[in-house]
Amino acid sequence: MQTPPADSNHPKIVLVGNPNVGKSVLFNALTGAYTTVSNYPGTSVEVSRGHCEIDGVRYEVLDTPGMYALLPITEEERVARQILLAETGHIIVHVIDARNLERMLPMTLQLIEARLPVLLVVNILDEAERIGMQIDTELLQEKLGIPVIGAATARKRGLKEIRAAIAAFDSTRRPTFAYASDLERDILRIAATLDSDYPLDRRAVALLLMQKDEELLELVRTAEGEGFAAVEAAVREVAFERRVDLHLRISLERKRVCKGVLDGVISQDSGGARTPFSERLSGWTMNPWSGFPLLLLVLYFGLYQFVGNFGAGTVVDLLEGHIFEQWLNPWSISLSDRFIPWYWLRELITGEYGIFTLGIRYAVAIILPIVGTFFLAFSVIEDTGYFPRLAMLVDRIFKQIGLNGRAVIPIVLGFGCDTMATMVTRTLETVRERMIATVLLALAIPCSAQLGVILGLLSGAPGALLVWTLCVGLIFLVIGFLAARVMPGELPMFYMEIPPLRLPQPRNVLVKTLTRMQWYLLEIFPLFIFASVLLWAGKLSGALDGLITLLRPAMLALGLPPDTAAVFVLGFFRRDFGAAGLYDMQANGVLSVVQLTVAAVTLTLFVPCIAQFLMMKKERGWPTATGIFVFVTAVAFGFGWLLNQALLTTGVLS
Amino acid sequence: MICGFCGREIPDRVPQPEDRCGACPGGCRKVHCPHCGYANPSVPAFLQKLTRSKAERDKEDS
Repeated sequence: MQTPPADSNHPKIVLVGNPNVGKSVLFNALTGAYTTVSNYPGTSVEVSRGHCEIDGVRYEVLDTPGMYALLPITEEERVARQILLAETGHIIVHVIDARNLERMLPMTLQLIEARLPVLLVVNILDEAERIGMQIDTELLQEKLGIPVIGAATARKRGLKEIRAAIAAFDSTRRPTFAYASDLERDILRIAATLDSDYPLDRRAVALLLMQKDEELLELVRTAEGEGFAAVEAAVREVAFERRVDLHLRISLERKRVCKGVLDGVISQDSGGARTPFSERLSGWTMNPWSGFPLLLLVLYFGLYQFVGNFGAGTVVDLLEGHIFEQWLNPWSISLSDRFIPWYWLRELITGEYGIFTLGIRYAVAIILPIVGTFFLAFSVIEDTGYFPRLAMLVDRIFKQIGLNGRAVIPIVLGFGCDTMATMVTRTLETVRERMIATVLLALAIPCSAQLGVILGLLSGAPGALLVWTLCVGLIFLVIGFLAARVMPGELPMFYMEIPPLRLPQPRNVLVKTLTRMQWYLLEIFPLFIFASVLLWAGKLSGALDGLITLLRPAMLALGLPPDTAAVFVLGFFRRDFGAAGLYDMQANGVLSVVQLTVAAVTLTLFVPCIAQFLMMKKERGWPTATGIFVFVTAVAFGFGWLLNQALLTTGVLS
Repeated sequence: MICGFCGREIPDRVPQPEDRCGACPGGCRKVHCPHCGYANPSVPAFLQKLTRSKAERDKEDS
């Protein structure tokens, strides 16, 4: 534990709360102009200190960094808790946003159960009232058993009341809230093993130990000395007996208690009896009856129309079909023919697989507009706060495939980059979930560029797009369902606090899109040039022809032209390069609709790119990564063969 | 910065070695949310000015 800065003798008022709830405004209102801002010892986190005088008593006021709970995750939260633990506040002023009372009240509960002297400020009350919310602060005060002040500090409303509440604060009032009886027994069991004195109540220490708070565990180890073994044993026994995620269990219990506390506290204005539209829309997105049609709308307009038709159609046509094919390529070819006497160098720069005519063209004219429009659509959806709602919506379906709503994070990220998403599977709770998510990412989640190119390829043939969607969706669900049966295990519960639904901010969307595009272009540019050099070398040495001959039987079995082998080989190198190759073949009229569909489905299901394979190896080890590689290859080609047979036999798409 | 998934404020810091998947040539460009694990794009310096509000920029300039 860090030592706090030199103490003044004045009683302390410590302001705590989530970020952006108006703590600093209150701090400035209380302290005026004379404040100091310094890094908390041993950290780069800034803490503001100032003084104020209320009813003749001089107080030191501390503005802590934003924190969401007593269990710290970020350095800012660690510092905020450290201040609570080490600085012995005379009053802890918990500032919360009136509009998000239900989300923020669990932390008030934590502060109360830690036996800290809490004064609750329900801030931004003006905004809450503007949307028709009425908050009965007196009832809330009665139910919580601590002083509660309604305020709008930015408008100087409630400041007088806050000062009066500080002056009249009675620190002897310490209410208690009871959890479920089994949880209470566990808390008591652990608290009974604690002998030392702590800055927090033993009940709060027990709860934090149950939630695996490493920092507090070290504090208890030092404080308890020889008695620590008994504490550790009690915590271990509780965790073993309950066999549930205690952190989640405690969070749900707190939420239940808060719901009871808030019963009758919040009401809607009679003038605005209707719940705000954003809240109703939020509810619709998570209700299966309305959520799935809304999801289809998002996919149709966001992906199919915007990325598929506009990005991969209109923009690629302009860049690739007009600017490159009609202007830049003929110009560069004629230049190289005129000035470069050596065939091999001409081929390297402007040949069939030339750096300019293939590598740069693919990167700039095909992939960039597609991923650009994809990233724009993705950033808009992300900025609205839709993704956590999607997690709640698909939670039930995901449970059938051995996952839960939390897996939406790696799956959604997989539509950006499967490699990074494979790493993010480590945020899932069990090894089983991580395995299933890794397999599904490798098999049925196309990355942004691949998805965009395929949407662009197939948007001209809606039947083919429908078949592709059904096939990939079916494989995702069937393989997930089977994997969940092959790897039985407990399914952790999923719970998350849903942030407010909001209108996307143009500035956020623009910055996120440009950031993603910039990094993406920087990443693919050298790789695409390298791939074209590889192809050029393969062509000149005859290795490419050898590879195509080797894969010829597989291509013929899929009903594809032998040249498609190059697409698959390059698809393993970079998924998007393979997809761009398919785009090129389609543009040259080499593939029929059936062949296009089979190639698109097989390429989507085919082995992840080399970077993803290496990530699987890093996260799951060689044997598992190799096993997934073999499995995915077999499923991709096996399913591709079946699909080709089915399409040819039934005549669908012919 | 605000996490694009859980909506919580997270430190806009350079990704640490344990946060990196190592797949991106030229280094990591993701800020992994410590609360939910979501990978947020790490905004390059020249774009960061756009993400700050006018008040923040004024405060910084003074």
